[in-house]
Amino acid sequence: MPELPELNPVVHGRLRLALLSLLIGVEEAEFTWLRTKTEATDGNLGAQLLKLEEAGYVAVQKKFVLRKPQTLYRITDSGRQALTEYVHALKRLLGQAIDA
Amino acid sequence: MQDHTTEQELRDRLSLIENMIAEGRRHTESWGWMFVLWGIAYYLAIAWSAWSHSAWAWPATILIAVIVTVILASSRVGKRPGTTLGRAVGSIWIALGISMFLLFLALGLSGRLTDQHLFVAVVSALLGMANGASGLLLRWKVQCACALVWWVAAAATCFGTNSQSMIVFLVAVFLCQIVFGIYGMIAETQERKRRGPIHA
Repeated sequence: MPELPELNPVVHGRLRLALLSLLIGVEEAEFTWLRTKTEATDGNLGAQLLKLEEAGYVAVQKKFVLRKPQTLYRITDSGRQALTEYVHALKRLLGQAIDA
Repeated sequence: MQDHTTEQELRDRLSLIENMIAEGRRHTESWGWMFVLWGIAYYLAIAWSAWSHSAWAWPATILIAVIVTVILASSRVGKRPGTTLGRAVGSIWIALGISMFLLFLALGLSGRLTDQHLFVAVVSALLGMANGASGLLLRWKVQCACALVWWVAAAATCFGTNSQSMIVFLVAVFLCQIVFGIYGMIAETQERKRRGPIHA
């Protein structure tokens, strides 16, 4: 029997997975946009984004636009690769679940 | 981890990925208000030009609509992430706006905007082009249907009387600006309600 693929625990978290999936479709996104799309609380969203940042999956840029602070997030190459690998692993697992 | 992960949960994760990627790339439905605004602008311009026969009716109304659009859009754009697709769709509509404004301003001021059939045909064809390009880029069948309505209107207006041509235009504006715009706004609201919060 072939070995089951491991699911990356950093990517597997629901909110983190949603964030990476959102960020993979855009060049960069503001914290407020991510909050609107996920309807997560500020605290939870910030904590999950920090985990993704620590894993090197997202990059953060803080700047001021019209004197207002703006935090921009973008997915890194590692994040893109991690999400791709996660999807492949997920599909393999699902394929095996169907075959079983 | 997989030992505790059910098949349903795996499917849920896959579905979440698909939904979020689609969510990140979807923009046009958030612009439903703009279609309604421009539909109203067309109706106002038609009413004004029919009432006063002023050469300024169209350029002035379009200019006001452009200003309102720029003000409202600039307050929204900053909150949106940039995507190549979003820029492509935005570029089509900006280019359309500039083309229509310059063309009809010049035609109106030079006094050559006298053939109503030609005017309706050109406006309808341009709007058909923009809706078609945008609908094909976004793979949005409803917007492609709007493009089809505009193209039919552009062709049909060449054959009828003046009043028939105007009726065709009014119907096309109603379907492709007012109805489509309201549909876009409702779809966006429903989507927001349907999607619950995502927890860690």
